[in-house]
Amino acid sequence: MISVMEVYQLLPKTNCKKCGLPTCMAFAVELLGKRKAIEDCTPLVEEAKYEKKLEGLRELLAPILSADATETGMVIHYEKCYGCGNCVVACPVNVANDPKGTAIGRGPVSGKAILMVEDGVVKCVNVDECRRFGPEKVLCNACIATCPSKAIEFI
Amino acid sequence: MLCDDIEVDLLDGAVKKTMNLCRKGRAHYDSITVERLRPAVRGSEVPLEEAVGSAAELLEGAENLLIFGFGSSSLEAQRAGVEMAKKLGSAIDDPSSFSQGAITEKILAGEVPSCTLDDVRNYADISIFWGDDPSSSHPRHLSRFSYFPRGEKRQRGYEEDREAIVVDVRRSPTAQIAADGFFKVPPGGDADFAEALSSALGGKIPKIEDKKRMLNLATKLRKAKFGAIFTGLGHAEAIKGDIDWFVSLVERLNEVSRFSVIPTLGEYNTRGFNQTLFDETGHVNSVSFKEGVASGPEFGISRLLDVCDGAMIVSSDPAAVLPGPLARKLARLPIVAVNSSRNLTTDLAEVTVPVAVAGIEAGGSALRTDGVKVEYDAFAESGYVSDAEVVRMIMEAV
Amino acid sequence: MAEGRELTVVTFRGIFQEVQEALGIYSDGYRDESAVVFLDGGDASGLGVEAGRPLRMETDHGAVVAVAKISEDPHPGVAFMPKSPWSSQLLSGDPGEGGVLEMKRFTAKVSSCDKGPTSIAEIGEMIRGG
Repeated sequence: MISVMEVYQLLPKTNCKKCGLPTCMAFAVELLGKRKAIEDCTPLVEEAKYEKKLEGLRELLAPILSADATETGMVIHYEKCYGCGNCVVACPVNVANDPKGTAIGRGPVSGKAILMVEDGVVKCVNVDECRRFGPEKVLCNACIATCPSKAIEFI
Repeated sequence: MLCDDIEVDLLDGAVKKTMNLCRKGRAHYDSITVERLRPAVRGSEVPLEEAVGSAAELLEGAENLLIFGFGSSSLEAQRAGVEMAKKLGSAIDDPSSFSQGAITEKILAGEVPSCTLDDVRNYADISIFWGDDPSSSHPRHLSRFSYFPRGEKRQRGYEEDREAIVVDVRRSPTAQIAADGFFKVPPGGDADFAEALSSALGGKIPKIEDKKRMLNLATKLRKAKFGAIFTGLGHAEAIKGDIDWFVSLVERLNEVSRFSVIPTLGEYNTRGFNQTLFDETGHVNSVSFKEGVASGPEFGISRLLDVCDGAMIVSSDPAAVLPGPLARKLARLPIVAVNSSRNLTTDLAEVTVPVAVAGIEAGGSALRTDGVKVEYDAFAESGYVSDAEVVRMIMEAV
Repeated sequence: MAEGRELTVVTFRGIFQEVQEALGIYSDGYRDESAVVFLDGGDASGLGVEAGRPLRMETDHGAVVAVAKISEDPHPGVAFMPKSPWSSQLLSGDPGEGGVLEMKRFTAKVSSCDKGPTSIAEIGEMIRGG
């Protein structure tokens, strides 16, 4: 998992506020949550003296910038996924939304499941319903702990 | 797992999109366009009827015929195979003779208690995976039945109501999921582990390095309301030559609670063949119909290859699975190979006869690993004939 | 080059191996998932073998070349090999106690080598007695 500190170390650390946030630390948090883009830090991308930091930051954030990552930082490594459905059946949102389907081990039937297995691997839809990103920001790790191959991570 | 909630979209004869199929199941569906077997005699493609005729001739010519395979055949084909073995006075065997036949026979004979996977989902609060890694071989095993789902008396699923214990020689993917419930045993150390567990169940000091952990396990098992033990090839290895230590352990466990055993069988209908042959003869494999009904290790493929002079191999690849020296013996025999795709055994065969892929191109039925019968339909058109029909055709031609 | 050493080999099946098997046993994909051996880190050092290098596996009944991999967990003295036509060439075929074949565990002499892995075509030839 990428830490906020790791991101912060690769920013100008000037608190210039050009990104619209009061501090570089706040910007680091927003970057990790994919609510701001690297380009929003104009000094970082425009000033030659930050070239190395910019390169380092792009490399560090590459996994969450890839197409695999959802807006909320869930990354699925499809090449590792077994399609076993453990995460689908374990997900508390699925259990609540789909009591006659995924809750009892079957494929989703309610149309409200957020994790399901398509084409042999897991797929996530409506990830904003995930408990980690809801108003409570619960540190749920059901889909991570139940995976036989560490195919799901949260960045 | 013979899952019945699979959705498939086809396009131009190939699978385009699937829902709920695991990685392995999806690969199986994708395989319908891969290296399909053609009807052939001595390497030259011929019409199906001719291949069937040549197959019959080859089988007629054998004095000591072996019919082998059927783990990936429909129940209907298995019944036809057993009928054929009886009609021809041949031996009949399947891969369970070198994998999980021993425990399966005990279960079918009622000597070791069992239950259904649905029972496990509804009632089991402890699942023990012994020398078994279903996360890799039957990916939906844990999510559909044995650990994660909610059930009638297990409304809180794996979070509160279930535990997973793994006994294995390595940290398999299933062991990874079991986390603290993983007990590593050295190769060949299963019987000692069971002995230690038995002692602990009896309140005695177990002979094992981590005594505290074993005593905790025993306490857990004693408190279980409904336990399930799943066995795999690691377990088959551990009971080779001596199944008694395991049967005793299961008896011991049933003194303190209710424990059932369900084997995690490698092919989709191994259970079907074992049940079919058992219903006919009282044995799950290694049977000869040459003079009445005889059974025993001498009628298993590993010994029979020394004396048989012809073989019909159905939906199996013994050339790939058997030890090299035995595969070489097989290679010297005249073989009829019946299968949906090309494999190392069909490469050796004098006559090859293709069949439809069950559950996709042909309907039929099979027994799940827990013995529950599952019926399946065809949903894809193909030019192929079902395995049951092919076996019958060959039988009639003999 | 370090000497070969005897290891207990235990076979297993992996999901990606089974996927490749369904998609074609004659493919490089199946070979890449099957003709491999997982070594304990210490054993690998002792053998002078790095991950990705060819490894010769030999018993009295046959020999194949597989690709070495290093396990995360330690398991000195034991090597894990997928059950496949490759591992089958190393088994004896003697029905032991109770007439049941040894299919899962055997001792093999393991040594680093230059070329490999063995191809499925070569395995086919070994089976035909070539």
